[in-house]
Amino acid sequence: MRIAFAGNPNSGKTTMYNALTGRNERVGNWAGVTVEKKEAAIKKNYCAGGEELVAVDLPGAYSMSPFTSEESITSSYVRNERPDVIINIVDATNLSRSLFFTTQLLELGVPVVVALNKSDINEKKGTSIDSVALSDQLGCPVVNTVSTSACGLEEVVQAAVSLKGKSQKAPYVQTGVDLTDKHEVEKADRRRFEFVNRIVPKVETRRTLTKERNVQDRIDNILTNPVIGLIIFAGVMFLVFQISQAWAGPWFADLLTGRIDAFGEAVGGWMESSSPFLQSLVVDGIIGGVGAVIGFLPLVMVMYFLIALLEDCGYMARATVVLDPIFKKVGLSGKSVIPFIIGTGCAIPGVMACRTIRNERERRATAMLTSFMPCGAKLPVIALFAGAFFADASWVGTLMYFVGIFLILACALLVNTLAGYKVRKSYFIIELPEYKTPSLIRAFYSMCGRGWAYIVKAGTIILVCNTLVQIMQSFNWQLQVVEEGMENTSILASVAGPFAYLLIPIVGFHAWQLAAAAVTGFIAKENVVGTLAVCYGISNFINTDELALMDGAGSSVAAVFGLTKAAALAYLMFNLFTPPCFAAIGAMNSEMKSAKWLWGGIGLQLGVGYAAGFLVYQIGTLAATGTVGGGFVPGLTAVLAMAAVIIYLIRRTNRRLAAEYELESNSASRSAA
Amino acid sequence: MDLTYAQEGKEYIIREIATDDEELDSFLFTLGCYSGEPVTVVSRTRNGCVISVKDGRYNIDHQLASAILI
Repeated sequence: MRIAFAGNPNSGKTTMYNALTGRNERVGNWAGVTVEKKEAAIKKNYCAGGEELVAVDLPGAYSMSPFTSEESITSSYVRNERPDVIINIVDATNLSRSLFFTTQLLELGVPVVVALNKSDINEKKGTSIDSVALSDQLGCPVVNTVSTSACGLEEVVQAAVSLKGKSQKAPYVQTGVDLTDKHEVEKADRRRFEFVNRIVPKVETRRTLTKERNVQDRIDNILTNPVIGLIIFAGVMFLVFQISQAWAGPWFADLLTGRIDAFGEAVGGWMESSSPFLQSLVVDGIIGGVGAVIGFLPLVMVMYFLIALLEDCGYMARATVVLDPIFKKVGLSGKSVIPFIIGTGCAIPGVMACRTIRNERERRATAMLTSFMPCGAKLPVIALFAGAFFADASWVGTLMYFVGIFLILACALLVNTLAGYKVRKSYFIIELPEYKTPSLIRAFYSMCGRGWAYIVKAGTIILVCNTLVQIMQSFNWQLQVVEEGMENTSILASVAGPFAYLLIPIVGFHAWQLAAAAVTGFIAKENVVGTLAVCYGISNFINTDELALMDGAGSSVAAVFGLTKAAALAYLMFNLFTPPCFAAIGAMNSEMKSAKWLWGGIGLQLGVGYAAGFLVYQIGTLAATGTVGGGFVPGLTAVLAMAAVIIYLIRRTNRRLAAEYELESNSASRSAA
Repeated sequence: MDLTYAQEGKEYIIREIATDDEELDSFLFTLGCYSGEPVTVVSRTRNGCVISVKDGRYNIDHQLASAILI
């Protein structure tokens, strides 16, 4: 039997769904976290015996008439797929708004159970709701729940099961409305709200009214202040990166990499008698490559943990308020902030979160720019280069995030110029959810869930890629094992070689290893680390001092790569700001729904990554040595060519706009005449 | 007058939503923000204000505030 979870945004549907099914779907204290329908079986301890119950989590909706794509998922699901029972999660702190949707659900004929969620907040505020009276008024069971602490869930499920096969009588029926007439519909909706307004005072007693100013409003005043709020936002993000990449993360990582190294050595010992090729495939290719990626897991997990805390406390909605004016200046909206922040975890859910942006152009531009925020998979790449070339300087990591933000703003301007954006009225409205103490346990679960996904990826895609890279590196085209000192004849070297020429203006010389890493990075960004580990035969990137000590003086990672500091930073930025992995490009495609925008986005990302790498390397080299680095002229030519294309496109857009304007004014003057 | 001139903390009744953006109009409606309903400006910032409609808190910008006539 299927149970659908429907209700207003941020009423706690996904939290309840996670508690009931044991899943680990993304939750957050703001409206619009869930953008897709999700299904899973309810755990057996919530439904003793009997048939299997399937919970269907739906995106939040305020009404059955959809405005956004995620609202239409909800209304079309409950209308057309006929779930056996609907559990309507109602935010008990906002009964007067939520019951509008409830009365609409009650009209469908599908049995409804109302879960009065967040009843703990009501208790704190001295609001009480007479659930028996409410149940009488609505004609359906009403259960008090707190989904964050899994209270009342069993009762909700039991109530739902007992209603299976029954019908639902609606307390309020909308009749004889011509749905094509806007005014008629509005009148009917007004009557519905009046009905709700009559119920609420009968069942609810409030000690404090919502309109009164409270402590939370005072906090909001500070956090959403245009100046202080912005400083706080920068500080919060800085702390997230600093703690995960400089303080707590590396400490955990140090513990882990020692074990991975020991494991690799042990396996090497067991395989001593097997062929050197097999031995190096397993030890260097698989354990070394995957181990190098896994070594950074603690950094990623600490960051996931901190972001989960941020998402849980209610700060995100305030961050969008602070950033809205800035983003508006470049033609995005404050809502774009949420995809960007989610994108620091992974660009795919980040791009999917763009769906809550109503304006199509803003939505596409946001989807295009989300991947400029370094994601969890890029974090190992950043940490590798920060550790190897900049003595673990934490400014490298933080700088990359701020460069990402800068690129987002700059590219948003560019995209809007290219798309011929005309200033139009854009309204901003966001619900400010109640603050709450973030739950450490749920942040921990969320961290484990995402950390596990990272391990799975390392054990599958990354493992396969590393194995292939190791094999391609070990053989030449005649399928003979490449001898030491002849690495340039390997299959990998000859395949990656042509790409390496393109990288000369960024790193200063021809290095097929770096090119191979950048190319495998498109499959998954962790591959950059994995491939470099395999190609250069280094597995422990975390504790680079130890490596230098082991192999004797001078043999540090930096020396093995042969990159200057400027080149290392340039190569890092190239990898961060070029197009994301294929999976994220797929997500971009499905959100943009336009081949033109998709290819435009990929082109923009390629151009930005290349230009950023070129500029950093050449300017850095000029500053350090007084002369420009290798490949200056071809690189400059490429960057200038890109600039020329952009200028051409801007001119074309301007001409088009001018023509449109002329047409408009002509027709205006004609109609005036 | 519109919400940008509203006194903080005082409850007003919405007279009209002055917008030709039908989608926005309907969206505000589902939040309970439509003519005849009470609205309170809880506080004001440089970029907009915080309003209380029904039992929810929303941050809106000046453009939207000036479209809500009271």
